[in-house]
Amino acid sequence: MQEFLQLVVSGIATGGIFASLALALVLIYNAMGLVNFAQGEMAMFATFVAFTLIGRGVSFWIAFPVTLVLAFAGGILVQRVVIKPVERAPVLTLVIITLGLATLVNGLAGFAWGYVPRSFPSPFSPDSIDLAGVFVGYRDLGVIAVSGIVLLAVYVLLQHTTVGLTLRAAAHHPEASRLLGVHVSWMLALGWGLASAVGAASGMMVAPILLLEPNMMQSIIIYAFAAAVLGGIESPLGAVVGGLIVGVTINLAGAYLPFVGGDLQLAVGLAIIVGVLLLKPNGLFGRAAVRRV
Amino acid sequence: MTNLLELEDVRAGYGPTSVLHGISLQVPEAGVVSLLGANGAGKTTTLRAITGGVRWTGDIRFGGRSLRGMSTEEIVRRGIAHVPEGRGICTELTVDENLRLGSYLRRDGPEVKKDYERVFEYFPVLKQRRRLSSSTLSGGEQQMLALARALLMRPRLMLLDEPSLGLAPIVVRSIFEIIKSINESRQVAVLLVEQNARLALNLSSSAYVLEVGRVAVEGDSAELQGKESVRRSYLGY
Repeated sequence: MQEFLQLVVSGIATGGIFASLALALVLIYNAMGLVNFAQGEMAMFATFVAFTLIGRGVSFWIAFPVTLVLAFAGGILVQRVVIKPVERAPVLTLVIITLGLATLVNGLAGFAWGYVPRSFPSPFSPDSIDLAGVFVGYRDLGVIAVSGIVLLAVYVLLQHTTVGLTLRAAAHHPEASRLLGVHVSWMLALGWGLASAVGAASGMMVAPILLLEPNMMQSIIIYAFAAAVLGGIESPLGAVVGGLIVGVTINLAGAYLPFVGGDLQLAVGLAIIVGVLLLKPNGLFGRAAVRRV
Repeated sequence: MTNLLELEDVRAGYGPTSVLHGISLQVPEAGVVSLLGANGAGKTTTLRAITGGVRWTGDIRFGGRSLRGMSTEEIVRRGIAHVPEGRGICTELTVDENLRLGSYLRRDGPEVKKDYERVFEYFPVLKQRRRLSSSTLSGGEQQMLALARALLMRPRLMLLDEPSLGLAPIVVRSIFEIIKSINESRQVAVLLVEQNARLALNLSSSAYVLEVGRVAVEGDSAELQGKESVRRSYLGY
C-alpha cells in the first residue's frame, strides 16, 4: 500500500509536467484548430536558456521566471514570424510547418549547446519526507507545487480577466470577436506566448529528472498528447486532469505490469492515445463537435 | 439631417465573384433605414463591406470619415455595432461573458453599469440566465443577447442582419419593438437587413431594395409600401 501511494504521488508529479505541456497544446489547438508539434522542442529550447542562465550563476528561482518571460516573448515571435504569414493555409500545411519548426528548433539547440546530455539542477532537496509511512520526495512535492501554481495562474488569466475573456472569444469565434473590436490576430499571438511559457515550465520541471539534451522532450510530448487527447483536446481542464491520469497510469504500469517496466511506458502513453480515439474520441471533457448547417 | 453613414458606388465581392455592382446609400443620424431584397441580392455583403469583412472599392464614410483601409476592429471601435447573420453569439462563453465582450472596451464605468440595467430591463430573461452557457439559449434569446451585446457597445449605428430569422412571430414583434425603442430613446441609427419587408418598412423611415447587387428602388418607407407595383415586384406581398 505504501509503495502504491508513493508511486501515485510521484505519478502526480510527472503528471503535473505532462499537464503543463498538454495545456500548452490545448491553448494552441483552441486558437488555430491544430496541434503544435513544435511545442516540446520550444520547451526544450527554453530550458536550455534557463540552463545557460543558471550556468552563469543566476539562481534557479530567478532563472525560472526570467525564462518564462523569454519563452512568452519567443512564442509571440514564432507566431508573428512563422505562423501568421500562413495562417489561412490548409491545416495540413500548418501541421507540416509546425513539424518543420520542431526540426529547426531541435537543430538550433543541438548547434548551440550540443547533444551531450547535461544535468540540470533541481531547486529541491533530494530527500524525502515521511508522511504517515509514505515517503514522499521533496522533488516530487516541489514539481507538484510549481506545476500547480503555473496551471492555476493560467486558469485565473483565462477565466477571470478581460484579456482571458477576449483570448477565449478570439480563439473560438474569430469572426464574431472581430465585430466586437477584439484584435484577433494579436490574441492568437498572445495564445502562442502563453503556450510557450507554460511549455517552458514543463521543460524546466522535467530537465532535472531526464537530463537536458535536444531530444529531451520527445517522449514527454507523446505523454502530453495522450493527456490532451484523454482530456478532450479542446479542454484546458481536461488537459490537466488528463496529464495527472497519464502520469499516475504510466508510473503504476511501469511498476506493477512486469512486461511494461521502464521500457514500454511510452507504449502505454501511445495506447492511451489510440484507446481514447477509438472509444471516446472527444475525450473526458470534450464536447462532441456539433455543427449546425 | 446629416448623414451618419454614406456608401458611394460600393463594389465588392468574394474572390472573382462580384456581388455588389455599385451601391450608394445613406443612413441619417439617428435614422432607421431598411435594406431589402431577395436572397443573394447583396444585403449581407453590403453590411460586411461596411465593417470591413469583405474588400470593396468606391467609398464608405462613417461620421464624415472614410473607412477605407481600416480593419474590422478599428471600424467597430468607431461606433458601429454589427449583429451579423447567425447573430455572432460566442456559444463557448456564458451569457454574462458575451455581454462583457460588448462593453469591455468602454472606459465610462458608471455609464456601463446603467447600460447593463437598461439592457436587463429590455431583456429580463438575460438577467435570469447570466451564468448559463449561451449555447443553452433559444433562438429568440440568442437574438436578444446579440442585441443586448450590441447595445452595450454604445454604438452610433447598429447594423442588424435579419433579426427576425427563424423566430416565432410573437418574439419577432417584441424584438422589433425593442429595436424601435432603442432607436428612439438612445438616438442610435439602424441599418436593417430584412426578408420580412412589411415588418422592416413599418419600422424604417426610408428603404433601399437591392436586386442582384444594385439598388433597384429607393425611397420613403411609407411611399414604397403605398406603391403596389413596387410591393408586388420587389417586396413579395
